[in-house]
Amino acid sequence: MADVAVKDKPKVQEREPLFGAKEKKLLVDPLNDNNPITVQVLGICSALAVTSLVAPSIVMSVAVIFVTGFSSLFTSLLRNYIPKSVRLIAQLIIIASLVTVVELALKYLNYPIYRQLSVYIGLIITNCIVMGRLEAFAMANKPWRAFVDGIGNGLGYGAILILIAIVREIFGKGTLLGFGLIGPSNEQASYLINTAAESGFGSLFAWYSNNNLMVLPAAAMFVIGILIWLQRSYNQKLIDIS
Amino acid sequence: MEFINIFIKAAFVENLVLAYFLGMCSYLAVSKTVKTAFGLGLAVIFVLGVTMPINWLINTFLLSESGVFGIDLTFLRFILFIAVIASMVQLVEMIVEKFSPSLYNALGIFLPLITVNCAILGGSLFMVSREYNFSDSLAFGLGGGFGWFLAIIAIAAIREKIKYSNVPAPLRGLGMAFILTGLMGLAFLSLTGIDPAALTAAK
Amino acid sequence: MESTGKIVTFILIITSIVAVSLTGLRELTKSQAAINESVFNKRAILSAIDKYLDKPTAQLTDAEVQTIFSERMEQKVVDMDGNLVDGMTAAQVDLAKERKKPEAERVLPLYIYNATDGNKFYILSVRGNGLWDEIWGVVALQDDLKTIAGVAFDHAGETPGLGAEIKDNPTFPAQFRGKKIYDEQGEYTSVVVRKGGARDKNHEVDGISGATVTADGVTEMLKRGIRYYEPYLSKAKS
Repeated sequence: MADVAVKDKPKVQEREPLFGAKEKKLLVDPLNDNNPITVQVLGICSALAVTSLVAPSIVMSVAVIFVTGFSSLFTSLLRNYIPKSVRLIAQLIIIASLVTVVELALKYLNYPIYRQLSVYIGLIITNCIVMGRLEAFAMANKPWRAFVDGIGNGLGYGAILILIAIVREIFGKGTLLGFGLIGPSNEQASYLINTAAESGFGSLFAWYSNNNLMVLPAAAMFVIGILIWLQRSYNQKLIDIS
Repeated sequence: MEFINIFIKAAFVENLVLAYFLGMCSYLAVSKTVKTAFGLGLAVIFVLGVTMPINWLINTFLLSESGVFGIDLTFLRFILFIAVIASMVQLVEMIVEKFSPSLYNALGIFLPLITVNCAILGGSLFMVSREYNFSDSLAFGLGGGFGWFLAIIAIAAIREKIKYSNVPAPLRGLGMAFILTGLMGLAFLSLTGIDPAALTAAK
Repeated sequence: MESTGKIVTFILIITSIVAVSLTGLRELTKSQAAINESVFNKRAILSAIDKYLDKPTAQLTDAEVQTIFSERMEQKVVDMDGNLVDGMTAAQVDLAKERKKPEAERVLPLYIYNATDGNKFYILSVRGNGLWDEIWGVVALQDDLKTIAGVAFDHAGETPGLGAEIKDNPTFPAQFRGKKIYDEQGEYTSVVVRKGGARDKNHEVDGISGATVTADGVTEMLKRGIRYYEPYLSKAKS
């Protein structure tokens, strides 16, 4: 497998390890030090819209990882042929086609999730992470490395997305991936007090009544704000000095 | 009348930033001072107001089954919409560069960022899913742009003031901007349910 | 500076590659995607009679959904005078489009489920406005054509945790089961979502706190939507 990938790009003169320290850094850096959401402030829109439940967030993360990875790969392959003056449009065409692939694939594989994500699938195109990485990295680096960078940034994005979704789903609905976790179980809950845990054993903290604020999109803003606070308390070099 | 209703609804009740949280990247990146926010806001109004009707025409006459080609080409929607948006942004960039070099310098790399402003593409996608007609989509574009403009001016003004406040260091800047936007979003929730159509009908 | 020729050639090449490959992919996935969509819609209709199926809609496989529809479901189309429209099946009617026509010209989808024990369920489709956007749903009537056997609602963009509860919170639609759409005198009453709790146990259900506009939308949608079927219902009863 590894040999095939090396053979594909004979231009590499000195044989670098396929997955060396540089690649590892590209993959791990976006998870914390250079996280797309909390540090680079890219790709916020979809982070807020789909994160009220964990399941759609996971699908969204996978879709974004796919699009960042492959758009970086294709852009990097074409980087010497793309005319400078139309490079943005060329990049957008690549991204938009990959997103169309995601849309068609979702329609084919899981229609209910497709309906749930609706316009937000299309909005992956304008997810600034994708475009940002193409401009900043893929246009100037070799395909394999660009691909790893794209995957890394997709992972960093997905990690935050799922983290926010976990917080919001547990406190907003009392469930995790649809299974009752905290709060009263279905039978005990009255509909006038809004949501009940949907299924399962949900009576661990039966006194807990769901926090409706967490279900609103605004809650995602608070959760991200607090995440940034925590991250920067640990990682002092990220503090905004301006 | 319908035009004004949709305009007001798009600007206030269904504010793209504060109700749908679209276009956040440039909203957070360019809202450090009111002056640049003002310029970017105007550009967004223009781009939204122009791209929505154009995309409506494309969607109705090129992509739909009843269009020129007679086949369902809606799966090419993303590509065509984004191409229209990218070219409009290019146009705005040229206009701004010609008439206001100072604004051009201030906006810098953020002008191309309008292309990847989710609010613009989001507006066009909402237009499709809500089945707006031509004048509706123009009203939605202008209203949505105006709402975006208001929101970015508001956050920029707050951020200018908050610089002088004693915010915990790790929360300074970005973290605070998120929390502020969340609070503004909650405030805008109080506008939900206002139906301009019902207000005018009552008169 | 690149020549215009090079730019144009590049754009032409890349767009044609993209267009051809995407069209190919779409052709490959098209038929399965259409099946998925129709199963999705069929599940939505079945969810109104969830309680009367062998197992809940969510646990049915796609194949089972298809079987129920081909073996037990009659798909009719009704016009505003209560007559059946020949040559059409219910799946062809798009209520969203019908809403844009003048009332007298509309046609309505009607699904009739023949249960294994001989009971019949009449499943009506309704559509109206919520707080943000459209809401819609299905109402299943018992054999007597006045008792509700079950309902299911969906929405385009109600607020999660508030208006969206009409779909997300199973206790809300569950309240409708057993409610009557006619009073004792046989007058049409529909079912009302009452803020602060139901008072009339036959014709009212509890509202959702914090979602009055959506709840009023549901009331209005049911009142108008079921009334459209009234000419048919009274003909079917006699």
